This record gives sequence, C-alpha cells and structure tokens, in this order.
Amino acid sequence: MTVLEKMSVPRTEAGRRGSNRRKRSPLGSKWTPYLFLAPGAIFILVFQAVPLAQEVYLSFTRTSLLNPTRSRWVGFDNYVRIFSDEDFHRTLITTIIYVIACVVGAVGSGLVVAMLLDKGFRGRGVARALVTVPWAAPGIAVALIATWMFNNQYGIVNRFLNAVGLGLPGGAILDSPRYALPAILATTIWQLFPFTSVVLLSALQSVPQDLMEAATMDGAGRWATFREVTWQVIKPVVGLLALLMTIWSLRRFELIWLMTKGGPVGATKTLVIDLYSQAFDSRELGTAAAIGMVGVIISLMVIAASRFVARAAEKEGIR
Amino acid sequence: MRKQRIGRSVLAATSAVVVATAFAAGCTSDNGPESDDGVITVTFAASTFGDPGRGPALLDLLDEFNKSQDKIRVAAAAVPFPTFGQTVLTQMGSGLGPDLIRFDMPEFAAASDAGLLAPLDELIDVSQYNLHQQPDKFMFADGVRYGIIFEASNYALFYNADLIPEPPKTYEEFFQIAKDLTNGDTYGLAFRQTEAEMAGVWQDIFNYVYGFGGAWSDGEKLTINSPKNLEGLLKYQELYDANVIPRGADAATFRRMFAEGKVGMEINNGGYVTATRGQNPELNFSVAPIPFPVRSQGAILAPIVINEASPAKEAAAEFIKWVLQPENQVKLQEILGASSVATVTQRSAQSLAETPFLTVFDDLTDTSLPHVVLGFEAKTPEIRQVVVENVIAALQGTIDMKTALDRAQEQALALVS
Repeated sequence: MTVLEKMSVPRTEAGRRGSNRRKRSPLGSKWTPYLFLAPGAIFILVFQAVPLAQEVYLSFTRTSLLNPTRSRWVGFDNYVRIFSDEDFHRTLITTIIYVIACVVGAVGSGLVVAMLLDKGFRGRGVARALVTVPWAAPGIAVALIATWMFNNQYGIVNRFLNAVGLGLPGGAILDSPRYALPAILATTIWQLFPFTSVVLLSALQSVPQDLMEAATMDGAGRWATFREVTWQVIKPVVGLLALLMTIWSLRRFELIWLMTKGGPVGATKTLVIDLYSQAFDSRELGTAAAIGMVGVIISLMVIAASRFVARAAEKEGIR
Repeated sequence: MRKQRIGRSVLAATSAVVVATAFAAGCTSDNGPESDDGVITVTFAASTFGDPGRGPALLDLLDEFNKSQDKIRVAAAAVPFPTFGQTVLTQMGSGLGPDLIRFDMPEFAAASDAGLLAPLDELIDVSQYNLHQQPDKFMFADGVRYGIIFEASNYALFYNADLIPEPPKTYEEFFQIAKDLTNGDTYGLAFRQTEAEMAGVWQDIFNYVYGFGGAWSDGEKLTINSPKNLEGLLKYQELYDANVIPRGADAATFRRMFAEGKVGMEINNGGYVTATRGQNPELNFSVAPIPFPVRSQGAILAPIVINEASPAKEAAAEFIKWVLQPENQVKLQEILGASSVATVTQRSAQSLAETPFLTVFDDLTDTSLPHVVLGFEAKTPEIRQVVVENVIAALQGTIDMKTALDRAQEQALALVS
C-alpha cells in the first residue's frame, strides 16, 4: 500500500484511538506554544519595545537630561539638525569605516587562524585554548591596557616602532587624528577574532573530507579547492558572522569611549559615541534619540540586506 | 481530558508570568531616607572622597559629624571626577541622586538653572558666618542662594625646588625653564591636552586665557575669539609644540611624574598639595603665582548643595551648618590643605611652618575666578565642549588656533541663542 493509498483509507476506531494517543500529550493545546512564549515576549515588550517606542517619541522632541519629564515637540527638527551638521556626516563615515574594517578584519583574521588551527600540529589543543583569551578578557580591561600600550612615552607599541625605525612623530597614536582609528580597530579586531576563529573552525571541520580528496585527485590546487569546496560549505557561517560582527560593531561603546572618547577631533567618533556625548555631555536627549534612531535604521537595513542575500543564495540552490 | 490539558498549560504559563511580574516588581526601589531607629541617613557625593591623601581625612570628618549627634548619619558616595557631573546630574534629572553634593561650578550652574537644587536661604542663616565675599558671590542664581562654598582652590605654579631654585616670574622664563628641563624621560612642564580629559583641559586653558588678559565673555556677550584669548592660547600651543610636556599622559599620570621628580612644573590647584605630599613626602616642591602678564587665574570653586529632590533637606542642612562652625572650618581647611573654605580662617602656626607657601594660595583668592563663562553659567558645559574640541583640533594641527577660536565662537553663539 502506498502512502497515498494509506492516507485515503478511512481510519478504523482502533486507528483513531491510536492516532488520538499519538496526538494526546500533556501539553496538547494549540495555545500552549504561545503561552510558553509569553514570558519572553513580555520581557522583550517591557525592556525593548517600550524603550524603543520612547526613543522614537524622544527623537521628535527637545528634551533636556536635567528635566527629562519636560519635553517639547519639535517634529523633525532634530533630524534636520543632525543631517545638516558636517560633524555628523563625518561621524557616519567614521562609523561605516569602523564597521566594515571590523567585519573584514575579524572575519578575515578569524578564517586565517581557523584554517591554521584546523591543521594538525603539536600543541594544537593548547593553541586553540589560548586563542580564546582575547575574547574572554573583559572589554574594559582590554581598553585600559591598550591605552597604555599605545601611550606616547611609555607604550610598548611606540617602543617597538622606534626600534624598527617606524617611530611616529611625538609618538602620538591615540592623540593623532590619523592613527587613533587604526589603533582602535586593531584593538577591536584583536578582541573579536577568537570568536570568529572558533566558529569558523567548527565550520571547517564540517567540510566533507571526501570532497576535498576528490578535488585534489582531480588536480585542483589549494586555492581552487578552497574556493570550490571549502568556501561553499562555510559561506553561510561566514555570512552569519558578518551580520553579527556588523551589529556588534555598530553598538561598540566601551572600547572607543575609554580609549579616546571619540577624539581626537572626532576622528574616532562613531554613532554610539556621538549618541552618548549628546545625551550626557550636551544633555540633549532628543538629539541623542534621533542619532539612536539613525543607528536602528542602519541596523535594520543591514539585517534586511543579509536576509535578501541569504534568500537569493537559497533560490540559486547554492546551499 | 481537553479541559485538564488546558488547565495544566494555563497553570504553567500563569506561573511563568507571575515569576516575571515578581521579578519586575523586585526591581523597583523607593527613594525615602533610610530611617533606622530614628536615624536619618543623608548621602553626600563628592569626587574628593576618592582623592589620595584627602579622601580618608574627609571621611573621618564625616565620621566626626556622625558621632557628634545621633539623629543624622551622613554617608559618603565617591564618584570619580571625570564622570562626576554626568553621573550625578543624570540621577538628579530623574528625580533621584544624593542628598548633598559637592559640585564644580559648571555643573552647579547647570543644576541651579534646571531647578535641581534646593534654595538655601530658608534652610541656613548665613548672616552669622564670616564668608569669603569673592567666591561666595558665585553661589547665587537669579538672586537666590543655592550653594555654600565647600572648597575654594586657586591655581598656582607648582615647581620642583630641587630642579628649579628660583621660580619663573615671566612667561619667557617659564618657557625657557620648561625647555631646559626637558630631557629623556623628564619634562619641564605638564598639562592636560586630550579630549578624554575635557573638563581638565578647560580648567588648564582657563589660566592661559585669563593670565594673558582674556575672558570667555564680558558678562553679556561671548568673547571666545578675542585677541587676548588668542594670545593666551597661542602660548599654550607653543608649549605643546615645543614637546616640553608628556603628551598623551593623563592628569593622574603626570601628577605622579611630578611627585617622582620627572616633571619640573605644573599649574595646579591648591587641593593637590596634600595629594602630592601623599605620593612623595620627600619631594622638595614649592608654589609661586603663575608667571603670566595678568594676575588672574582659575579657581576650583566647589559649592556644597542640597538636592531639591532630597526628602531629608533639613537633615542635609544640619550637616552644612555643622561644617560652617568655626572649629570645623579650620579642621576642613587642614584637610583640604592649600584650599580656602567658606569662611575666613586663621591658619595655624604649625601648618604655616610645615607649608610656608600656603599664603601664596590665600593671596590669590581675590583675583581668582570660577571656571564658568560669566553671564552664561548654565551653558558652560556646552560652551566648554565646543571650545575644548576646537582648541584640541588646533593642537593637533588640523586647523590654526585663530580658526579654532572663530569656530568655537560661532558654535557657542548657536548654542546660547
């Protein structure tokens, strides 16, 4: 009897009883999943949706931190003001540069490290454990230590650069509009690459070995094997990591604030730093909320783009 | 059976919701004064509680008040200086915050303008105290008193007397000594010059502006880009460009370097005499007036204020009245070192023998000004930000100092209009 034939046969009483026994479970109500989701949904509603709605409202008002309950509706004034401010344009560009460099740097270096750790060598277990140390270190500790490492007079980075003949004028790194952002990027990528390397290592280990061997036997070189076999398997993971790194980089605060506070001269001022500065230095909650909304919109655009790319890849059957 | 299933499911989900609600309810807190056996607890926030040297002594003073009576207990809350204004004003803006606060002037002006401070006229009768007139006149907003001076600390030149036998008397001598002393890891001078220490940079450049005859305003109009301001700040930049300072070092670092004999001079306020001694009792240092053309410099005026939202205003006022008693003013001044207090006091022969240069600080009181933009006190934090950002841009070479001050003037005018 085929499946279709089975399905068209009227069920007997015994069959129905059996079927009911299979369907019957202690939590069989159709509302049960929703009831179990309720606590999480309430949490999200109370601690995320409500603050988000408040932020949207604040972004259309003039509100001082010193009198947060007294808001004056100003419509799109805050948005017009920030978008007509050249400093804000620079902040947007700095944010984009920071995010792209973080994503490329963290994922790229993570992939290189993962590929190295995928090979067999003595002490690989120890190496794999040590690689996670930067990720495990608290962000504040990393920021403070990095600040000292980049110190003009006493930092080891300057001592090293001077020793190899690449000394910078005055040793200024975090004080220099030119070098401050690269220094922050280096610190950020150093902290992020362990996470990406661990995730990519597990992805690499899921690449079927027989496919690799078949490619080698067909005469494919290392690059061709990587491109046609390894990359095709790990691409979805890379995509997910890129999305996560993008969102986290957009939100990164403590590293930048502790190292440079967005300076010098706004060279490391990202959206989050600008938001904090507007809210707590200038005490303009409305302007800060408008900047926050710009960040939210950028994040949503990134997520939408990522979903679009993923769906397009699915349709092409690459996955 | 279906009813049983629904009942169990509803029970499970309801339990989860109740737990979540209980958790949320547990996160709330009330704001009344703690009253344990009739004792009212009053919190007092000050950045100086964390100062090396003075902090423990200030805490001892609070203990002394607490032991002197059994109705009020003052509890200290130490908040670091760089984030003090932000932290406390955020709390006060949302109707919370400590009962007593030792503010710096820019934050005092912003808080009084926003109605966050309790008027003191009805809580404290100041007519019975012999207050220092010059600093006290800045304790008012629209004719209402909102603060009483807790500490008035004038800026002067600290110098290492072993490296510099005679202090400089002119800017030219000052510059030359700074250059001559700079060698290897030793620097002739130190001052704050990074955006990370914005409030400190403002205090430092204040001395250069006023010391060369400039001013941020004339009381009615902003004068940020005046020629005298430019002259003073060009001198500040000249010292920066001459590499006579440890660039990038924050205040905590270069003050330790001064205590260790690695920095020859720094312009600092009297509050740091005790801290410097604490870091190195063997250091042979002295103090002289800042060697700029005009005898006018900044002063850390730190008023003690009462939070308008405090439910224990009378108790807080009792502490202030206790501090204003003559014997306690002397004790406070001994703790603060070279600073003045609210009232006129007589320094003891012993303290003068230990620290002969205390009179240098005292003599500067009548020519010292608080770090606010006169006439625009409440807007000082925002004006400070635009000025410091632009001055640092000039130090970095992004723009010249004249353009920096012109831009600061323009941006500040937009802020105050």
